[in-house]
Amino acid sequence: MTISAAEAPPGGFGEIDEFIEGFERFGYVADPALATAIYLLIRLPKPLLIEGHAGVGKTEVAKVLASFLGTELIRLQCYEGLDAHSALYEWNYQKQLLAIKVREKSDKPIEELERHIFGNDFLLTRPLLRSILCESSSPVLLIDEVDRADEAFEAFLLEILSEFQVTIPELGTIKAKRIPHVILTSNSTRELSDALKRRCLYHWIEYPTLEKEIQIVRVRLPKFDCELSSRAVRFVQLVRGMNLSKPPGIAETLDLSQALVLLKKNQLDPGTAEQILGCILKSAEDLAQIRREGVKNLLSRITP
Amino acid sequence: MNTLPTPPRPHGTGEQAPILPDFQRLRSVVEFCRFARDNGLDSGLKAVIDSVRAVGIVDHERLDAFRHALRATLCTSKEEWDLFDQLFDAFWYGARMDRLRKPISPSGGTTPNASNSQRIQLMLGHPASRESQATEEKRNAISGASTIDRLSKVDFSEVPQDDLAELELLSERLLRRMSFRLSRRRKLSHVRARIDLRRTIRAGAAHGGEFIDLRYKDRRSQAPRLVILLDVSDSMNPYSLFLFRFAYALGTHFHRVSCFLFSTRLVDVTETLKASDLAKALRALSGITTFWAGGTKIGSSLQEFNRRFGPRMGSTNTCVLILSDGWDTGEPDALVAELKTLKQRSKKLIWLNPLLGLARYEPVTRGMRAALPYIDVFAPAHNLQSLLELEKSLKSKTTR
Repeated sequence: MTISAAEAPPGGFGEIDEFIEGFERFGYVADPALATAIYLLIRLPKPLLIEGHAGVGKTEVAKVLASFLGTELIRLQCYEGLDAHSALYEWNYQKQLLAIKVREKSDKPIEELERHIFGNDFLLTRPLLRSILCESSSPVLLIDEVDRADEAFEAFLLEILSEFQVTIPELGTIKAKRIPHVILTSNSTRELSDALKRRCLYHWIEYPTLEKEIQIVRVRLPKFDCELSSRAVRFVQLVRGMNLSKPPGIAETLDLSQALVLLKKNQLDPGTAEQILGCILKSAEDLAQIRREGVKNLLSRITP
Repeated sequence: MNTLPTPPRPHGTGEQAPILPDFQRLRSVVEFCRFARDNGLDSGLKAVIDSVRAVGIVDHERLDAFRHALRATLCTSKEEWDLFDQLFDAFWYGARMDRLRKPISPSGGTTPNASNSQRIQLMLGHPASRESQATEEKRNAISGASTIDRLSKVDFSEVPQDDLAELELLSERLLRRMSFRLSRRRKLSHVRARIDLRRTIRAGAAHGGEFIDLRYKDRRSQAPRLVILLDVSDSMNPYSLFLFRFAYALGTHFHRVSCFLFSTRLVDVTETLKASDLAKALRALSGITTFWAGGTKIGSSLQEFNRRFGPRMGSTNTCVLILSDGWDTGEPDALVAELKTLKQRSKKLIWLNPLLGLARYEPVTRGMRAALPYIDVFAPAHNLQSLLELEKSLKSKTTR
C-alpha cells in the first residue's frame, strides 16, 4: 500500500490548531495530542476511544465537538443490560397490533401485511440508527461509558464502528449517508475487548497539570478572581495526590470554584474550605481522611 | 508539546531529510510499527495501515503531530499509551529505554534465580507434556476406585514421589469435571417469565396476525465472576503448585476468572490461565513469576489488588477466593482493613487454608484470627478432595 497525495491531501497542522482554538471558544482546553486525535477521527474516518479517570472531561469532548462543528449530538448512555433494541431500533408493537387487527378482514395476501407492518412507519429509531440515518450533516455520536455495557453489546457495536452501517433483519443493511463522528468513552472499570479497541483510535486523558487546570478554570469561569482560582486549583491538586478512593477530577475543581463564586467568597480560608469540602470529596472515608490531615494544615501547605 | 529540534531519522537510513519521500516515509513508519510491536505494543496489520494513512494526512513538518498521530492509531490502552513516548524516542532519536524488551530472543528478559528455575522445572515436568503414549497408559491405569479415593485424600505436601504423576492426572480430570458441572448448572436455570412482544408479533405475522406461538423473554443469565488470589510464598511451597492447577481448571469453565499470585507483591496471571493447555500455562508462568517463595505480606498484596483492580470488579456478582495459609509478616490491622474493602466489593469471600487439613491446626496466627469475621467460607485446601468440596460453595453463589 502506498499513500498517494490524491487520496489524502496533506491537511495543514493549521487545521489541528483550529481545533484547539475552536474548542477553547466553547470552553474546552484541548492539548495538541487530543486535537490530533480528533482531526484523525474526522479525516480517517475512524471512531475515537477516550479513556481516563472519572471527571477529566471525556464526555465533554463529544459535546464540544458537536458545538464546534455545529452538528447534532446523539448520545447513547451505556448501562449493564443495554441491548440492541434500546440502542438501535424497536418496532412499535402497539401500532403493529392495531394494524393487524384493522386488516384482519381484508383478503389481501399475508406477505403484503408483513411488508406493511415492518415498514418505516412502524420503526422506532434509537440513537445508533438515528446517527446512521442523519441526512443533513455528519452527527457526533457519543457512546458514553461503554465499559458499563455487557461484552455482548460491545460485539454488537463492531459493525457500526468499522463499517458505519447497521443491519436490521426485517429491513436489511442500512449504510450511513453521512458518516457519524463516533466518540466512545470508558472509565476503564473493565478491560474492553481487543476487537473493539482495534477499530478505534485511542486517547488517554491524564489529570491536567497545574497550569492547564488553572487555564481550564479561567476559560470556564472567566469572571472568577485569578488568584483565588489558582489557590483553589492548587488545593484540589493537593487533595488529588493523596491516595483517596475517589480522587477529585476537573469537574470537581469547577464545582468548587463555582461554589466559591456563589458563596461570594474572596478567599479560600479553612472555614470556607471545610464548608464546601463536599464539592470535591464524594465518599465518607475520603472526607474522614482529609479531616484527619486537617484542612487548615493542607491549606498552609499550598505555596501562595 | 515543543517542536523537537532535529527532524526524525529512521533507523537504517543515513539521510537527514526533514520530509521523507513517500516510499521512504512509508517504509520507516512500517518499520517503527514493527519495532513497537516487538517491544510491547499490540498493533495488528490494521493499525499499521491506519497509522500510515494518519501520517499521510497530518502536516509532515510538525513533529508533534506526527507523534500524536502514531500514538492515537497504535495504542489501545493506558499501558501502551504510557509506553509509547519511550518507544518513539528510542526509534526516532535513538534514546535509551528503561525496559526495552528484546524482540523474541530466548535469553531475553529476567533470568529466574536457581530456586525459581527449579520450581519451574518441576512444573514443566508435568506428565501430560511427556510422550503421549506413556500418558495414555497412566490414564488407563488410574481407574481403580480405591486409588482415586486414596489419592484424593492425601495431603499435597506428603504425596509420595511415585504417586505424584497419578495425582496430577487425577486432579486434572476431576477438577475439569467439577468446573464443567458448575458452568452447566448456570446455563440450565431458565425461567419462563415475560412474553417477548417483539418476537411474538414477528411470529404472528406469519399466521396472518394470530398469535399462535408465544415467545418468551428470559432473564439473561449473569456470568459469575471469580477472582482467585493465590499465595505463593515460602510457607505455601508444597501446595501452590497444585493450587495453581486448581485455578487453571476453574479458569477453563468460568467465563470471567481473574487470577493473581502474591507473596510480597501481586502479579496478574489472568492471561496465563487462558492458555489452551496446562503445560502451556505453566510454561508461560515461568516467564512472569520472578518471586516464587519468599515472605508474605498479605495485607499489602490485598491493598495493591484493591487499588489496582478493585474498581473493575463490579460489586454485584463477584466471588473472591483467597488461597493462603495466613502466615503474614505484615500488620494484622492492614489485612483487616483490606479484607473489609474486599468484602464490600464481593458477593462472597472464600478463604481456603491448606493448614486446616492438619488435625491440630487452629487459626491462631494474628492475621488469620483477625481475618475470620470477614470470611464467608473458611475451608481446607490440603488435598484434592477438599478442593472438590468447594463446588458446593461456588454452586450456592450461582443459584442465589
